[in-house]
Formats: sequence, C-alpha cells, structure tokens
Amino acid sequence: MSEQVHNRLAMVRAERKVSRQSLAEAVGAHYQTIGYIERGQYNPSLDLALKIAKFFDLPVEALFSLEPFRPLTDEVYGRKQP
Amino acid sequence: MTATRMTNYDRTMLRVMNDPRGRRLRATAARRRSTVAAHVALTAAIVALLTHFCLSRAESTWAAVAVVVLLLPWMVAQGLINGATRGLLELRERALDERQLAERSQVLARAHRATTVLLAVAVLGLFASGMADGDALRTYAPPALAAGLVVHFLMPVWVAGLTARDEPAEDEPATLP
Repeated sequence: MSEQVHNRLAMVRAERKVSRQSLAEAVGAHYQTIGYIERGQYNPSLDLALKIAKFFDLPVEALFSLEPFRPLTDEVYGRKQP
Repeated sequence: MTATRMTNYDRTMLRVMNDPRGRRLRATAARRRSTVAAHVALTAAIVALLTHFCLSRAESTWAAVAVVVLLLPWMVAQGLINGATRGLLELRERALDERQLAERSQVLARAHRATTVLLAVAVLGLFASGMADGDALRTYAPPALAAGLVVHFLMPVWVAGLTARDEPAEDEPATLP
C-alpha cells in the first residue's frame, strides 16, 4: 500500500558529516532505521521526516519526495529535464 | 523511541540488545537462518527430554541432566537471535522506534498465522490417531500440548530471527539521487 518515498538523506548526512548514530539519537530513532530510510527500505512517518528535516534545518521537501530527485548538479546549474 | 520516558532498566536492556559483539555471527541471512535452525533443534530436544522426564515411569535423571546441558547452547542461540533483531521482541515498546514497532507487529502477525497452521495440523493429527487407536490420544496429547505451548511462545522469536535484515553498512558512501 505504501508508496516509495525518495530521499536525499544519505547525501545530506554525508555533506554535513553527521553519523547515523548521532542523527538517530537526535531524532529519537534507531540508527538502523536511518540506514533503512537511506536505502529506501523504510518510509518514515511524517513525524520522523519532519524531525529529520528540522535537524538539518531544511524544508522536508528538500529531503523527501514522492518523485525521484533530479541530480543536484542539474538543479544548481539549471539543466533542463529531458 | 516513543515519548514515554525510559527507565534505567530500559536503557540497560537497549544497550545489551544493541551490543556490537557477535555482529559477525549474525551478519548474513544464512548465519541467522543457521542460528534459528539450531535454536529450533535445541528447543525440540529440550521439550522431548522434559516430556520424557515428566511422563516416563522409568528412571530418567539423565534426561534432566541433558536438559541442563542443552540449555546453555539454547541460551547462546537465543542471545544471538535477540542480537540479530536488536531486541525487537525483548525490549519494551518505549525503547523501540516507529520502524521497530511496525516490524514487531508484522512479526507477531506472521508468528500467529504460522502457529495457527501448526496447531491445526497437530489437532487434526491427534484426532486422526485417536480414531485409529483409542489409546493414542492419551499417549500423544500431553507431549503435543507441551510442544504447542513452546511453539506458541517461541514462534515470534524464530520469525523475527528469520526476517531480520542485514545491517546497513555504517557510513557507506552517499549515493546521489
């Protein structure tokens, strides 16, 4: 029933140099849960998604989307989607 | 974790269940399956020995000694399964996060279905043997009841051990979308 939710969590976490463990502790989740979200094996609840977005000080749609994310370089340099 | 405050006991159990020691023993699905298979075999042996000890009229002290000896590897296997599932069934609800709570519900539902099928097979088998031989019910009912109770109690552990997933590699390189 649940739809695949795409996310950029692994990329943002690596960029901010945050370990899974410290992110998990900050949002009150198990570190494996963060790993499963990153691998697309678990879709977080709205509550958890908002907590993660708040931790990174980003809007939730910057991290999670129902549509696949465009590559960042395309977004930054404005290449049009085919 | 849920909003309810965790007690010292919860924190201790959380630490124990997430102890990284023995990680290699439960790292792959094949190893977890082997552990569960060993746990099932040991449980069957222990139940058989206990039933023999309680019901046999012959001298059966050896059976009690064998149970005590088998309990040690049984506890090791139980600990490995608990480690593989990170205490999915052992920890209190407030020590689990939303994904773990959802997984626990799935495990309990699957275990319930499996136990129902096994109990149905056992009941049908007992009735069939009772129709074939009048004394069979009296002979087989006590061990079947004991086995049913143990399976009902341990099936969630076995299901959780078999459905546990591989641990995501720590700090694996971020993949661009």
